[in-house]
Amino acid sequence: MNTDREPVIRVRDLVTHYGERQILKGVSLDVYSGEIMVIMGGSGSGKSTFLRFLLGLHVPTSGSIELLGQDITQLDSQEMYALRKKMGVSFQGGALFNSMTVGENVQLPLREHTDLDDATIEIMSRLKLELVNLGGFDKLMPAQLSGGMVKRAALARAIAMDPRLLFFDEPSAGLDPVVSAELDELILKLRDALNMTIVVVTHELDSAFKIADRITVLDQGDILLVGTVEEVRNSDNSRVQDLLNRRPRDETIDPDAYMARLTNA
Amino acid sequence: MRGVYGLERLGRATVRAVEEIGYLGALLIESLFWLIVGPFRRQPVRIAAVFQQMTQIGVNAVPIALVLAFGVGVMLAIQGIHTMKTFGAESKVVIGIALSVTREFSSLIVGILVAGRSGSAMAARIGTMVVNQEIDALRVIGINPIRYLVAPSLLALSIVLPALTVLADFAALFGGAVYTSMDVGISLAAYAQDTVEVLKVNDVMQGVNKAFVFAILIALIGAGNGFVATGGAEGVGRVTTRSVVMSISAIVMADMMFTFFLTR
Amino acid sequence: MQYVISERPGAVLLSLAGEIDLSNSPQARKLILAQLDSGHALAVDLSAVSYIDSSGIASLVEGYQKARSENLRFALVAVSDATMKVLQLARLDQVFPLVASMDEFNA
Repeated sequence: MNTDREPVIRVRDLVTHYGERQILKGVSLDVYSGEIMVIMGGSGSGKSTFLRFLLGLHVPTSGSIELLGQDITQLDSQEMYALRKKMGVSFQGGALFNSMTVGENVQLPLREHTDLDDATIEIMSRLKLELVNLGGFDKLMPAQLSGGMVKRAALARAIAMDPRLLFFDEPSAGLDPVVSAELDELILKLRDALNMTIVVVTHELDSAFKIADRITVLDQGDILLVGTVEEVRNSDNSRVQDLLNRRPRDETIDPDAYMARLTNA
Repeated sequence: MRGVYGLERLGRATVRAVEEIGYLGALLIESLFWLIVGPFRRQPVRIAAVFQQMTQIGVNAVPIALVLAFGVGVMLAIQGIHTMKTFGAESKVVIGIALSVTREFSSLIVGILVAGRSGSAMAARIGTMVVNQEIDALRVIGINPIRYLVAPSLLALSIVLPALTVLADFAALFGGAVYTSMDVGISLAAYAQDTVEVLKVNDVMQGVNKAFVFAILIALIGAGNGFVATGGAEGVGRVTTRSVVMSISAIVMADMMFTFFLTR
Repeated sequence: MQYVISERPGAVLLSLAGEIDLSNSPQARKLILAQLDSGHALAVDLSAVSYIDSSGIASLVEGYQKARSENLRFALVAVSDATMKVLQLARLDQVFPLVASMDEFNA
């Protein structure tokens, strides 16, 4: 693996709240250049929240998030604007702009950030669509695409600028196994050819084990474990094993707290 | 106890209202910021989007605006003649129609029409984009949603609404003239001459200025409601309805204040 | 990005070197299109290219398309490993004429 052990993502003591409720409880994490880091956890683990903060969509309560050496909690809007050119994001539902064709969706980041010639931009956007096996679909509207095609088009848009950092939210959610396996292959190919650093948030074990260099397991706003696929598989942490074996969690109950919740007292 | 509870509710409602007005104010300031500063930062407001919005909001609304305004003109003529008959001064109805149309009714009817047509569309469009994470997608690409979505609509509305109001002036005056000429027997030419004599630029400008303010209210309330949409299609429907009710209420309230200060 | 243009018998050799990215691919594009505009067969040497992004690739595609439509010979010469990876990702290695040297280009 071609890591030079220089973290391109460096999170320290990240604490976040949603209203009064604490969601992330002091998360620290390093992701190295060229690495595929999978962030795993059940629903309510805070993994989606974590991603939103990595993307700079919210301001954390405390802690720092460095992307490519810049702490995004300290950047002004112009610096953040510049940094965004080097980041690509593929959202869970694709989040394609429904009023634009697939091709225009992929072109949008290029038109926003570059002065490239129209011909170049169009060839680039079609190239990206070819990469995700959507060659020839650029004139269609997002509403005309199937779920798997939307995801692939969203990936094409995410890599339009050849970003150094690629974030991928739930690549396999809602897809059939074949399509989701294809997406996994694509993620691996992108890393190898373009040397991107990729962060994938998922709850799909198969997919996580297939693509991950390392896996971060989040649970209830805390990091349970960061390790290679092997290390996660062999972990003796009971919550990690629950997750791997799809066991429902079996928590000890605090009777007082439980009664308080039930009776709203 | 009950009184205290009521007072608390009133207090909370007031705080919410103030918060909301503050939020809409911030939206206005940020939109203006992008309109003015955007071009210097290589992040301009898209002119193409402004024209597209002007077509959708303005040009496409012209037929219905003309019909409504014509109807209002006829209605004013009927009521005016009926009232003036008491004093045997039916011919004076021309003055009443001319002033109330230009100063009041054109901008009001156009404002309500556009709030229903375009304010709601804005709330629905932005609300849908919030729910589909398209707003997040814009932000991670580095495109400020206010620059991209709100500023073009705000600019388009504030150009188009005054223009529609002037058009509506003509249609309403024409409606009034047609009915009056039939009922009282004033010729259209005489009616037109009377109208030109009583109308001052100030009267027309009062309507135009009101339309400008209504435009800003419609844009901010439409966009502001869109951005706070949550919870899927149902949530989008909720904010859409809310934006129409709020913007029509705001238009009527603003109109009342306007009229109070300008007519006294 | 550095470049050298050298006249060869029957063709022009454009040698690109270094990193080709958003900041300089428009320049590469102009160089390529200018040679084709003046009716030269064009060989683009990529042996010293350490990094090429998709805007660079797009410029090569546009050049090749123009050469094809004007019946001019066009090839990529001695493609570096880094560039080849990117070409392969887009399966363009099966599209561009690839040659190892100018001798092969002229053969």
